[in-house]
Amino acid sequence: MADTLPAQPAADALGEDELAPKSSARVITREMVLMLTVPPVLVAAVFGAFVWWRQTADLDSVEAQQLRWSELRSLGWEHVQLTVVAALIVVAIAVPLGIMLTRGRFRAASPVVIGIANAGQAAPSVGLIVLLFLWLDGGFWTAIWALSLYGILPVLRNTIVGIQGIDPTLVEAGRGLGMTSAMTLVKVELPLAVPVIMSGVRTALVLIAGTASLACFIDAGGLGEILQTGITLFRFSLMVTGAVLIALIALLIEWLGRVLELATRPKGI
Amino acid sequence: MTQTDQASERAISGAELRLENVVKRYPGQKTAAVESLSLTIPAGEIVAFVGPSGCGKTTTLKMINRLIEPTSGTILIDGKDISQESATSLRRKIGYVIQGGSLFPHMSVAANVAVVPKMLGWDAKKISARTDELLDLVGLDPDRYRDRYPRELSGGQQQRVGVARGLAADPPVILMDEPFGAVDPITRQRLQDELISIQRELRKTIVCVTHDIDEAIKLGDRILILQEGATIAQYDTPDAILAAPANDFVHDFVGAGSSLKQLSLARVRSLDLVHPTTATVGEDTGPAVRRAEEAGDDAIVVLDDRGRPVAWPWLRQVRSNDRVKGSPRENLVTLDQAATLNDALDTMLTAAHSKVIVTGDRDKYLGVLDFETVTEHMRRTEREAAEHQLEQQEGAQADG
Amino acid sequence: MWEFISERGDLIAYNALQHANLVLQAVVVATVLAVGIAVVVDRFRFLDPIANTVSAIGLTIPSFALVGLLLPLTMIGALTAFICVVFYATLPILRNAVVGFAQVDKTLIESARGMGMSDLGVLLRVRLPLAWPVIHAGVRTSVQMSMGIAAIAAYVLGPGLGGYIFTGLSQAGGVNAVNYAVVGTVGIVLVALVADLLMLLLGRLTISKGIRA
Repeated sequence: MADTLPAQPAADALGEDELAPKSSARVITREMVLMLTVPPVLVAAVFGAFVWWRQTADLDSVEAQQLRWSELRSLGWEHVQLTVVAALIVVAIAVPLGIMLTRGRFRAASPVVIGIANAGQAAPSVGLIVLLFLWLDGGFWTAIWALSLYGILPVLRNTIVGIQGIDPTLVEAGRGLGMTSAMTLVKVELPLAVPVIMSGVRTALVLIAGTASLACFIDAGGLGEILQTGITLFRFSLMVTGAVLIALIALLIEWLGRVLELATRPKGI
Repeated sequence: MTQTDQASERAISGAELRLENVVKRYPGQKTAAVESLSLTIPAGEIVAFVGPSGCGKTTTLKMINRLIEPTSGTILIDGKDISQESATSLRRKIGYVIQGGSLFPHMSVAANVAVVPKMLGWDAKKISARTDELLDLVGLDPDRYRDRYPRELSGGQQQRVGVARGLAADPPVILMDEPFGAVDPITRQRLQDELISIQRELRKTIVCVTHDIDEAIKLGDRILILQEGATIAQYDTPDAILAAPANDFVHDFVGAGSSLKQLSLARVRSLDLVHPTTATVGEDTGPAVRRAEEAGDDAIVVLDDRGRPVAWPWLRQVRSNDRVKGSPRENLVTLDQAATLNDALDTMLTAAHSKVIVTGDRDKYLGVLDFETVTEHMRRTEREAAEHQLEQQEGAQADG
Repeated sequence: MWEFISERGDLIAYNALQHANLVLQAVVVATVLAVGIAVVVDRFRFLDPIANTVSAIGLTIPSFALVGLLLPLTMIGALTAFICVVFYATLPILRNAVVGFAQVDKTLIESARGMGMSDLGVLLRVRLPLAWPVIHAGVRTSVQMSMGIAAIAAYVLGPGLGGYIFTGLSQAGGVNAVNYAVVGTVGIVLVALVADLLMLLLGRLTISKGIRA
């Protein structure tokens, strides 16, 4: 699914060495400007059109029931909650794990962990969700675990790549100034790796937001529910509404990820 | 020059190239890149285009194979207007060699050379025979290099393949754009020598763009010196340009050391070579050593079965083997007979023997040039130049 | 579990092939499409950031949403699945193809033209082979991605192994629910692994030795 590896593919394809300079480049490229401006405009326009349609369309009782504003609002909120909570868990697990895998004796394990994570990424997200559902039963937290599991790889990989990509002379310089290993990590390595890590976080956000649209399959809510109902009842109005809202929220979350990426970039890099 | 005397014995395979009032004007630019250029390049000659960057020399070159279309004017090859033909079929008949060889990295050496013959629809057998022939011509052993990829070659080797590729379909006209710009000076000198040697054999019409006046003097039968807007500052033989620069621009461009540059006009072939003892690879060492001792030589020039020098061991090195051995040819520094005395001096100063082996067509052994011969020649030239100057002064006084 | 699989071996194998087949066809179409678009983008460089933006936005839209948007047009079935997979498969290839073409040394192109190659000849014999390692990497990513998208497309009765996952879901609580879900999920992982190996092999065969890393 697109929820599998968005944005990451290009980085993957170009090789990891391309990944670091690209995401930490100081220059704001035309593409970055486009990606910061086009999605919000697009989202606003499409959402405006949707609101206008929703207010003027002639809906039958089933549709009107499904498309109540309060219903849409609560499903949207669920969607956001699923995404944000899962993303926070991902960051809380993947960043420390990634740091650990660049330290001393754990370093040898990093290819193995990355390998496992990569293989795991080949699993279809919907399969993961369904399996966890069959194991843990449905609901919000099951969905959260599935989403978190799914979002870990990009953050983990970028944390490792980001730290390993730092010019070793800078670390040495830090040590030479009398910093402890922990101090060089906090003062030198992490700040320099932040742009790469954050680009991984954005990728994870997109993965999670997309996969969150499948949470409806296991009764965990989210905007996928409208689409699912639409398909079950075979009503185009519901299908399109669900699809459009899922897409809009994914674009919005991706955009937030980009803003976050830009905002957390240390000055001078 | 001796070069032309010698060369005229061979058939000219080049075609005459004529430019008539050729203009190139880019939209939105005040001055024309090329302002009405008319020029005739005789068949079978090398003409070097030189001039400061932006003078329009490369633009002019690219108009000949229509990579750039002239705004107006006519270009004729062998009397035929090139605009009458499709650009692609025209280009297949014009060799094109550019800086660094510009080889296609995804194609083997052989495939690179075969690009144009393939487009011309030659059959596979003919193509592979031609490829081998050309690699041999540019001094690369076909068996060793045919299947290599460009990244496995040195810069000089890549450039050689580039030249072979340009010659592949036996085009009458060859365009070269800074052909030896991307290699080190010593390799460049060798490549220039080889080009001259190849040209002696093939007699193509070659247009060579360069920014290096020394290269132009060395390679060119004629030199075209261009000013801004591809205006001709002077178009003449190297001797004539050095002897009588047409104007201040040419004088400045040719440079202050132009009397020194006369040295680069003199070729190795105009000097007397010595002929030390030679032996062929695989020969018994006994007789060879005896010959050398009789002649009073302390080293032997070893030739391969095609008469190309492969090694130059000291006698004691030869004695230690039963048969005469030859190491890979690349390790031996040789000089083409077309090399200038400047090149010869450079080479000798870095060689072990203070002498250098001179080769002719296809690397055939000609003899050995020693240091004394070169210095003697230089002294004589200097003396003659001084006398010449004196005569001129005296002449001037007599006039006054 | 083993009993479950051995009983349905043929059917599972058939569905695995169907899955692979859907992805294969979609990726082939996507490659042609992406390379074609990239040729146009390379011709008009100002399209470059636009292509990248479109590709980034496209990859952000969840595939489930695209399924929903396609349904009114293409109805339930294999066509919807196919279009959906093609859409996502195109994007990474497009991105890489644009980069790959842009990386081709301009002097090589000029020297090819100077030797008398036609525009098509330059594309097929110089630009495409030189950009191919990068494009191939995009195709490889695309194959992996398409495996998962095909699974979701099974929700609207697309072919392949994804159907097992949804069967497992609908039979939740039943004896074979987990078996179905595992066969679907693990089966897709295995098909993806095999496909990736084949892609590596394809790379060995199609990327010139002269430019292989």
